[in-house]
Amino acid sequence: MHPRTPTEYALRVCIDGELDIPIVASRFRAWAQRSGASTIDIARITTAAIELTTNVVKYAQRGELYGRLLETPRQRAIELIVEDRGPGIADVAQAIGERFSTGGTLGLGLPGVRRLMDEFEITSQLGRGTVVRALKRIE
Amino acid sequence: MLSRHRINARDLELVRASGAELLPRLDEYVEQFYAWLRQEPEFGQYFNDETLLRHVQNMQVEYWKRFFIGVVDDSYVINRRHVGEVHARIGLSVAAYFAAMDISLAMLTDMLPMSDTRYETYRAITKLIHLDTAVVTVSYNHIINEKMAGQAQALTEMSTPVTSVAEDVLMLPVVGLIDSRRAQEILSSVLGRIAETRARVFIIDISGVSVVDTAVANHLIKLTRATRLMGCKALLSGLSPAIAQTIIELGIDVSAIDTHATLRDALEESLRLVGIKLVRSHNE
Ligand SMILES: Nc1ncnc2c1ncn2[C@@H]1O[C@H](COP(=O)(O)OP(=O)(O)OP(=O)(O)O)[C@@H](O)[C@H]1O
Ligand SMILES: [Mg+2]
Repeated sequence: MHPRTPTEYALRVCIDGELDIPIVASRFRAWAQRSGASTIDIARITTAAIELTTNVVKYAQRGELYGRLLETPRQRAIELIVEDRGPGIADVAQAIGERFSTGGTLGLGLPGVRRLMDEFEITSQLGRGTVVRALKRIE
Repeated sequence: MLSRHRINARDLELVRASGAELLPRLDEYVEQFYAWLRQEPEFGQYFNDETLLRHVQNMQVEYWKRFFIGVVDDSYVINRRHVGEVHARIGLSVAAYFAAMDISLAMLTDMLPMSDTRYETYRAITKLIHLDTAVVTVSYNHIINEKMAGQAQALTEMSTPVTSVAEDVLMLPVVGLIDSRRAQEILSSVLGRIAETRARVFIIDISGVSVVDTAVANHLIKLTRATRLMGCKALLSGLSPAIAQTIIELGIDVSAIDTHATLRDALEESLRLVGIKLVRSHNE
């Protein structure tokens, strides 16, 4: 896991408990709104950010969320990274499958984020932690 | 914690040795310190009350006596944590606390006699003061978090206004985010009101909710099930197009919930369900 510098990522929020979920939600939404994304895309990206943050709180206790706007002459996209140094996921394929949950909830968070976003990548190592990277292209 | 602040046995020894020099002259420090404090606006409030002022001064003397004993153990840390809590509870800012510690450091170390170990002693005292300050800051934080949690709790309690909008019809507008505690609060207050009023229809309006994630959806599904068990039908209203879309993409099955785009639609449906017909009166 490489360190992410504040200059690279305009948005950086520490996740340290349930009370941080609304903070992530409002900061992320406010930041995404400035990017000029459509209402529906803001809803998608914010929902994805909250899902991943909730997972950190539930399964890894603490972690960090990063966001940045990627711009090329032809395209703009919002990149979202949520990482933790928690227990890791034993079987990633199973975790991103529909309705798999070790927490007794719906088990739709990870597969849902995958559908909400255009790119989705998850790296996890048992005992080391989990990094989820997702990207949404915005018009 | 000692190693984090790079405090070793030699440092503590120097702190103890300097205590032998400084403690007898602590009155001088106290005098100087209060002269400084008097012109600090934030501390003004403590000077109106003589007994309070005396108490605070005594506490401060105790603080430095303890400091120059030069023993950092559990009880020392607990004592420092307590100091932080007291300061936070009386509403003194962290900034003011830092300023006071810094000026104390300057005043005390200026009183150190010239010697070969003067610089080393100065460093040792500084490190220990920084350790104290770190502990105090953490406990400040703790108090502030407690306060925030308390406020959130108070807000939660205020924000579940389940209202009767027609005979047999209850309504709850939800604003903001629904976390698990709030969901629990909503569930128990809704079920309580249903039992009390024997309502047959319950409308939950989420037009003030900005995000529906899987956790919130799960709470809503549970709420619907629970109300149904009590013989009351739940209607969900106020889903914006963006929220409807994200719910679908998340893959949440909302077929069990009777959803309506607007509160008005839900209200009309609820009246139909309980058999109330609204007619316009024609007053001349
Ligand atoms: N950051 C994480 N660290 C460790 N395990 C995780 C992490 N995120 C997800 N998991 C594992 O992957 C499973 C699936 O996650 P997902 O978000 O899809 O469902 P859920 O959190 O259990 O339920 P839902 O998100 O629907 O409320 C979790 O139950 C958990 O076992
Ligand atoms: Mg989840």
